[in-house]
Amino acid sequence: MKNAAFSRQNRIALELMLVGLILCAVLFSLPLYSFDANVYTKKSSNTFPGDDKYTAAMEEVNTAAEEYRAQGFSVEIREDQTLRTNSKGETTSLMTFTISETIGKNLWSFFSSALPSAHIFRCITLLLALSFLCALAGTIPSADTVHKHLDPRARALRSAACALGVLALFLIPVFVMMNTYFFSRKLSLYSAELLTEGKENAWSAMDAFLFGGTAVDRMDAVLKGLVFQVSGMIWLLLPAALLMLLSAVQLRFGAVRPALLRGLLYFFVTVLCLVTLYPYYVMLITAFRSNAETTDMYFLHLFPTKWIFQNLTDIINRGVPRYLLNSLLVAGGATAIAMLCGIPAAYAMARMRFKGKSIFLGFVIMSQMFSPVVLLIGIAQLMSTLHLNDSVLGLMLINAAFNQAFAIWLLRGTFISISPEMEQAALIDGCNTRQSLTRVLLPMAAPGIVTALIFVFINAWNEYTISTVLISTASNRPITVGITQFSSFNMIEWQYLFAASLLATIPVVILFMFIEKYLVSGLTSGGVKG
Amino acid sequence: MANLTGKKWRPYLWLLPSIVLIAVFVVYPILIVFRLSFSEISKAGIVGDFIGFRNYSDAVSLPAFKTVMRNTLWWVLSVVGLSTLFGFIIALVINQRFHGRKIVRAILIFPWATSLVIQASVWNYIIKYEYGNLNNLLLNLGIIRQAINWRSSYQVEFVWECAVGIFVTVPFVTFCVLSGLQSIDSSLYEAATMDGAGFWSKLWNITLPLVRPSLTVSTVLNIIYVFNSFPIVYTMTKGAPANKTDTMITFLYMLSFYDRKKGPATALSVIGFLILCLCAGAYMFFVMRKEEEG
Repeated sequence: MKNAAFSRQNRIALELMLVGLILCAVLFSLPLYSFDANVYTKKSSNTFPGDDKYTAAMEEVNTAAEEYRAQGFSVEIREDQTLRTNSKGETTSLMTFTISETIGKNLWSFFSSALPSAHIFRCITLLLALSFLCALAGTIPSADTVHKHLDPRARALRSAACALGVLALFLIPVFVMMNTYFFSRKLSLYSAELLTEGKENAWSAMDAFLFGGTAVDRMDAVLKGLVFQVSGMIWLLLPAALLMLLSAVQLRFGAVRPALLRGLLYFFVTVLCLVTLYPYYVMLITAFRSNAETTDMYFLHLFPTKWIFQNLTDIINRGVPRYLLNSLLVAGGATAIAMLCGIPAAYAMARMRFKGKSIFLGFVIMSQMFSPVVLLIGIAQLMSTLHLNDSVLGLMLINAAFNQAFAIWLLRGTFISISPEMEQAALIDGCNTRQSLTRVLLPMAAPGIVTALIFVFINAWNEYTISTVLISTASNRPITVGITQFSSFNMIEWQYLFAASLLATIPVVILFMFIEKYLVSGLTSGGVKG
Repeated sequence: MANLTGKKWRPYLWLLPSIVLIAVFVVYPILIVFRLSFSEISKAGIVGDFIGFRNYSDAVSLPAFKTVMRNTLWWVLSVVGLSTLFGFIIALVINQRFHGRKIVRAILIFPWATSLVIQASVWNYIIKYEYGNLNNLLLNLGIIRQAINWRSSYQVEFVWECAVGIFVTVPFVTFCVLSGLQSIDSSLYEAATMDGAGFWSKLWNITLPLVRPSLTVSTVLNIIYVFNSFPIVYTMTKGAPANKTDTMITFLYMLSFYDRKKGPATALSVIGFLILCLCAGAYMFFVMRKEEEG
């Protein structure tokens, strides 16, 4: 199957890919990174521009600058005047002379450097070149073949070109970020003596990178005043690499748009998941860090330097098991009560005909609307009348009552979706109503029942507001209230707070994942939320 | 059906436990709040005589009342509005077929399953100026050069509270819309594609009308839940400074349990309750109409 138009299309795609590659190469050779390094500083007090002291100092600075120029550096002299009024009311002036060297560096100079980002840069170069070569090797022998009929080898090569292009595209921002991190953050921490680990390596790498290894003894002074700038042009690498990738996609699939949309979809979903997981990541790492590390301004690692499982033991000694047990009691009891009252009601709603059915339905839906929070004062009053305030039983009952509506609603929907014929058959076989309910209907409704069960459990487990108001004895607190003891007004023990939070979160998240697929089917009809 | 129905009074017996539970723990507190709002209440909490609407006028004339009402309005509008928008977009995206879809859906549900106190505490830590994880992360990634004070003023803090509110509300909307989307017959889209309809036209003419019921239900419910939301504001700022970041719910909590002004607090409760009734009425209207259709 040969096609001349195809050969033309493929040639254009290949040419575009080459354009992208050349563009990248050009960008690599531009001095995108520039460094202002102070190589010499002289301060002269009581000096005004033009006086004798000034001339003497200037002469000294000029000599020093000449020395640097003789060594082949391009240096610049700057002078700053600081005016102050002293205690006698006289104006004094401090002159500061600096010789600074501006060093422009292109990306190729990363290639042979020992900087941490050098590997990434080598990878990017290699990936881009390989991507082009693969596309070339996969296209030239079969340039005029319609891509549906491509032989496996050409297809594999063109796929490889795409994959390599995606990788390169991904590594470019990683490379830029790593550089910024290293030049602006890590070096300044080394200079300020806040970080010592790996300092020597960093120093010699910087020395080799900026001065070709000639400035070992003055690196401390140089790096202290180092100002680095990266040109915004560096982001042009992204469109250039994207051009290459899209051309490769055109070669492989014959069309760009669907693949591009697909790529965007995966990108969007990945970002979404990362954002969603971010607080959980923070919770996890903070729970296992030492107290000093949780409040460290200069924490440079993505994970704890040392995982401290001692935190778990500590919170166990501070009442957390008791809180978890209380939560379990409250949530379990609330679920049991809600189901015991809810299943018969839902059954009656689904299977029986009686007067006032729609009134009861309205009553149920209305009661779902009221979060206990707005009624806090009334509930507190009621509970003290019933002598149930400050008790786990009281929390159980409140949670059961406020989740009753949802339980009935969801169970009713489940029962309605099951045909009554099965129960009728059981009745004909001689079962009574109770037996037909427990032996036939309930097993069939199990998924709906489990969903309702778990949902009520989670709502009760996560409840916070009512518990803070009703519970005053420490040993009766559920976990959501219990964790607040780690954050008092003037000191927050983050590691304990999050270790306890982690223990409180893991079980419910797992439970929620179990009912996730039922949620989607029954959600809007039930109208559910915690 | 006749033999399942049994005697006349039987259905009511089946309903009884549920009715008792709701009546005692939901309806009775409502009555208590109403009664208290018209009574004089001493600082010690002793209920006195009927005083008409004085508690209400006291509540309205509290200096923070206006700010609190404005905050509540902003809080509900921004959280419900933006989470509906984001949730809708996310649902459209994850309704596509792609690899790892199940994992993505499981991950997206996390914020919904987590207790709000815990979420709020974590975000509290994340946005700390001195050592918060967000500054640390952005500095390490080289995105910012200097730590940013994420909570420089109470307005910014309130925006953060809304953001956390949105973060925890989005999954609910997403899954509501998703359940609506999955009930749409795919042949509708195929037919539209045949007719040459583009993406936007299909979105506007098929998707939106058909998920509108789900969207309405989720929006009305969200208005109620967001209005009632307490832990986020309470954990992040406690309404400080001077009630400037309070919403109605946190305000009435502080009023009642810290400032010992039970009278105005119950009046506020009733006002909140009536607002909720309005929303609940709207919700009933939609649900009942859907019931009739279904």
